[in-house]
Amino acid sequence: MNCKAVSSKHDPNACFLINRLLAYTILLVWCSTAILAQDPSAPVSVAGVPGIRVTHVLGLEGASSNAKGNLTIQDKAMQFQKGGGAATQVSLDSIQDVFLGEQSKQFGGLPMTLGKAATPFGGGRVISLFSHKKYDTLTVEYLDVNGGLHGAIFQLNKGQGQVIKNELVAKGVHVTEVEVQPKKQSTSEVESENK
Amino acid sequence: MKTSKRVTSVVLSIWIIVTVAPSQLAAQTAAGKSPSDNRPSAAPQWSVQVDKVVTGDVILEPAFRIAIYENLLQELAKGKCFKEVFRSGDRNARDITDLLILKTTVQKYTPGSETRRAVTTVSGATKLKVRSQLYTRDGRLILERVVDGNVRFFGGNLRATHNLARNIAKTIKQSNLPTPTSSIPEQKAEGSPVSTLQAVRSRED
Repeated sequence: MNCKAVSSKHDPNACFLINRLLAYTILLVWCSTAILAQDPSAPVSVAGVPGIRVTHVLGLEGASSNAKGNLTIQDKAMQFQKGGGAATQVSLDSIQDVFLGEQSKQFGGLPMTLGKAATPFGGGRVISLFSHKKYDTLTVEYLDVNGGLHGAIFQLNKGQGQVIKNELVAKGVHVTEVEVQPKKQSTSEVESENK
Repeated sequence: MKTSKRVTSVVLSIWIIVTVAPSQLAAQTAAGKSPSDNRPSAAPQWSVQVDKVVTGDVILEPAFRIAIYENLLQELAKGKCFKEVFRSGDRNARDITDLLILKTTVQKYTPGSETRRAVTTVSGATKLKVRSQLYTRDGRLILERVVDGNVRFFGGNLRATHNLARNIAKTIKQSNLPTPTSSIPEQKAEGSPVSTLQAVRSRED
């Protein structure tokens, strides 16, 4: 409002700069909204490959962390295939336990985080309020050929965990459903037991 | 003039935010590197077998328990302070003479929220505190530490497990482990025999 009055007197380029800054901010907010508008909950799989689209968080030998791929339950194995690359298999017999849980995460990764940080007047915090999503987590405990214990964590879209669970139960694998994380802080202390 | 000052201050504040955000992230992950980290250590004499993470009475999601275990294996192998790192139950570890067993017991867990962290900055931290114990094969305790791993600003909740594992590996690396019995020469060793280290360190947040 008074920006025009001041700029016309002193610096004609200042208002132009402010306008550009505002345009960038609007563009940033628009981009964030566009990301928010996407509906990633729809089950998507890599073209031609059956299975459920998952993100391998960590633990599966032969697969890199945070790799996206398809998880399939076959007759005798659980298979994770990253894109069109080599598949990693875990024999169903070697699976000790499977846990199904859920977690809430911010999406967009580092670019989104930087964008939020760069948004002026605390706009990033407002974006954060809406840029989170609930995921199912699938934790698989299995043994390798030497008897060594492995654990693999997969992140699935909400509702997909139940599908995997049903498939695994049908194959005779023991699945434990984890209760939703308590909202209040549960800082229970364990008495120091040395042995 | 007044407007140009305003513009400069806005641009400056944006630049500070963009510059500070990644450095905050780096500071969170680096956890204060000490000069001793770069010091070349002697060839490792022990091998280690990482035991399952015990949660005791603490309610901890299985994903966290597994993430601590897997990150520990990764960080210990990366730290190169042990000859070999074995998984729990690995049959290959049976023949290893100089084997230490790393037991991890969760003492405290404060579940956080990534969204709360992003919105408020000051709340929603995920905190983990564990007791790490190194035992010899015959059940002798040679190292005991209380280590914590938190995630306060950026990153998902599981990042706390990564920070925790890295802190455990760092703590073990910095401690003086006794010489394995098989490495001690036959004549009596000078000074005191292999001592038991029992230094419980509680790190404040």
